[in-house]
Amino acid sequence: MKRRAALKNVAVAFGGLVSLPAWAENWNERSVSLSSSYFSPKESVLLAEVAETIIPVTDTPGAKELGVHNFIQKIVADCMDKKNQEFFASGLAAVDTAAQKKFTKSFASCDTGQRISVLNEMEASPDQKGFYSMVKGLTIRGYLTSEYVMTNLTHYEMVPGHYYGCVPVSPKK
Amino acid sequence: MANIAIDAIKEVTYDAIVIGSGISGGWAAKELTGKGLRTLVLERGRDVKHIVDYPTTVTNPWEFEHRGQLPLEIREQNPIVSKCYAFYEGTTHFFVKDAEHPYVQEKPFDWIRGYQVGGKSLLWARQTQRWSDFDFEGPARDGFAVDWPIRYADLAPWYSYVEKFAGISGNKDGLATLPDGEFLPPHEWNCVESYFQKQVAGHYKDRHVIMGRAAHITKPQPIHFQQGRAQCQHRTICERGCPYGGYFSSNASTIPWAAKTGKMTLRPNSVVHSIIYDEKKGKAVGVRVVDATTHKMMEFYARIIFVNAAALNTNLVLLNSTSSRFPNGLGNDSGVLGKYVAFHNYRARISGEYDGMLESTTDGRRPNSPYIPRFRNVYKQEMDFLRGYAAGFSAGRMSHTNQDGIGASLKANLVKPILDGWYVGSHMMGETIPKESNFVALDGNLKDPFGIPQLRISVGYDDNDDKMVKDYIEQMTEMFTIAGFKNIKATDSKQAAGLDIHEMGGVRMGKDPKTSILNKWNQIHACKNVFVTDGACMTSTSTQNPSLTYMAMTARAADYAVKEMKKGTI
Repeated sequence: MKRRAALKNVAVAFGGLVSLPAWAENWNERSVSLSSSYFSPKESVLLAEVAETIIPVTDTPGAKELGVHNFIQKIVADCMDKKNQEFFASGLAAVDTAAQKKFTKSFASCDTGQRISVLNEMEASPDQKGFYSMVKGLTIRGYLTSEYVMTNLTHYEMVPGHYYGCVPVSPKK
Repeated sequence: MANIAIDAIKEVTYDAIVIGSGISGGWAAKELTGKGLRTLVLERGRDVKHIVDYPTTVTNPWEFEHRGQLPLEIREQNPIVSKCYAFYEGTTHFFVKDAEHPYVQEKPFDWIRGYQVGGKSLLWARQTQRWSDFDFEGPARDGFAVDWPIRYADLAPWYSYVEKFAGISGNKDGLATLPDGEFLPPHEWNCVESYFQKQVAGHYKDRHVIMGRAAHITKPQPIHFQQGRAQCQHRTICERGCPYGGYFSSNASTIPWAAKTGKMTLRPNSVVHSIIYDEKKGKAVGVRVVDATTHKMMEFYARIIFVNAAALNTNLVLLNSTSSRFPNGLGNDSGVLGKYVAFHNYRARISGEYDGMLESTTDGRRPNSPYIPRFRNVYKQEMDFLRGYAAGFSAGRMSHTNQDGIGASLKANLVKPILDGWYVGSHMMGETIPKESNFVALDGNLKDPFGIPQLRISVGYDDNDDKMVKDYIEQMTEMFTIAGFKNIKATDSKQAAGLDIHEMGGVRMGKDPKTSILNKWNQIHACKNVFVTDGACMTSTSTQNPSLTYMAMTARAADYAVKEMKKGTI
């Protein structure tokens, strides 16, 4: 939605005479606008805290600051089928239920140790480990493909400019 | 009044019309305009200008809304094109969406299409081997299809001609099965690939592992700079369009070159309905077009017409070009139009691991890989199947990260890759035999959104293909085993025909008008001012990638066509 809307605004700014580039017309309005309202604000906050617990802030930003939960929401909303979406939603609800049961407060109100113990219990539970591995996998993917990590930590190169077929393995690696 | 009508006709009259702007249409446009012909290039899709219309060419991975993954809705709406390896969040704009351009699958056939200026030349995998006489003599030797009316010697100078302009990298390997070309420096090998090459050379006299020949500018020559193209930067995101012009596409190379002559009129959004045949003049006089935006039918006229709509659409256009002289399609006196369609068998692949050379790894990326030319049934028939297969091969170093645990330790581990051993992999590219029973035809009732009959595709595998898959798996397993590779796994994907994106034939060349549509100049036997130089013209399919051969044939046919025009014979 954002890019398309931005382009439309540009078109309007130029007196509405500028037509969108043809490739922009091919964008699917629903698929690009769906994700923003898919999760309730409460679910969104909970998801951010779950992701932050899995990959917390240290001397570098954690999952929440990098918007990993936004990425997860987009994938769940736009790329998953209904069955997996429901599986994900009920798993997320179970996180709060487990926190309430164990610590009589919401997951978001728990301290780090308490949160980890809730998630570790889910990982050990035959019913809930599926959800946990799904959310953990998405968190890792969102984190590793974030701009911060790719530019500062894993040093993605858009333009390597070369291919060397046989170089010594560097001791650091 | 009469003058107005004459002027109106003049306005839509050109020396030549080229139908299609993909890999062969681009060459037709370049050659015809270069020889001074006012040329109209008709493209059914939208315009795609080099760089300007590559919206994702510099998009970073994190800038894709779903980090490259396709939304479910797009996948569900496009079950066919979603099977293509190059269709992802960064490339959907260059592929035909299933529902927009329907066709009928009499047998499963995954028809992958790129309807835009440049066509699939933006998306191809860029492998460019010459064919040899083992390929052109195949049908006559092995008794299938019909004899090719040309041999390697007819094409060799034209291969050189297009290679120099397009920019082909490769090594001169001196192999009879794979003639050398005008090469820019080859891409680099990695250690395990070189190791495998030596192992194979040491065990087999007739099997070779060579560096792939690919349409990448590894060392730009003046002719490439003149096109505004530069050296390949090893990004390996070619299918999004290359801002350097590092690989060959019509958009980066032939189309702008044709435009510079001032002789080209490019008309996008022009869906060709049919070719107009004038019975009094005994030749084709123009092309009927449905404007994709207004759906209005219009006509354009020219002395010669090049049909480069991509193999199956070229069949469709000719089948739909009916007249009392040609009630079954233009030039179809023989009845073979639409028949003898064939493709490449990509069903099998094999993978393995190598635990040597652990002190070495690779750096950078390479848009190419080594290649194993055909070694079966080359000099004589030795197997229980006809023809043979080539194979791709590559090796790379694997790594993983420790993803155990949760919190700060997990976070630290995620950015510390642990280097594993080498993986090795290969895929087959088998020649399929063109048969009358593999055909395309027009549907009697169903129309596409432009009112043109839908294409019925009835093309599939046969017993020969199954035997070839089995032999490839056995032979590659043996070669991998000899090299000491471990954990060897072979699979037959059973993928439908079409997904190879190497569909060919239906308008085949041949010596005899009774059994073929085109003569040795790619000219319709019975309608001499119409030329077909895309994949539709192919008499058989070889084991090599076909695009370079389309380029060479197009340049050759255009040269002939203009000479004949000047002589007044067409």
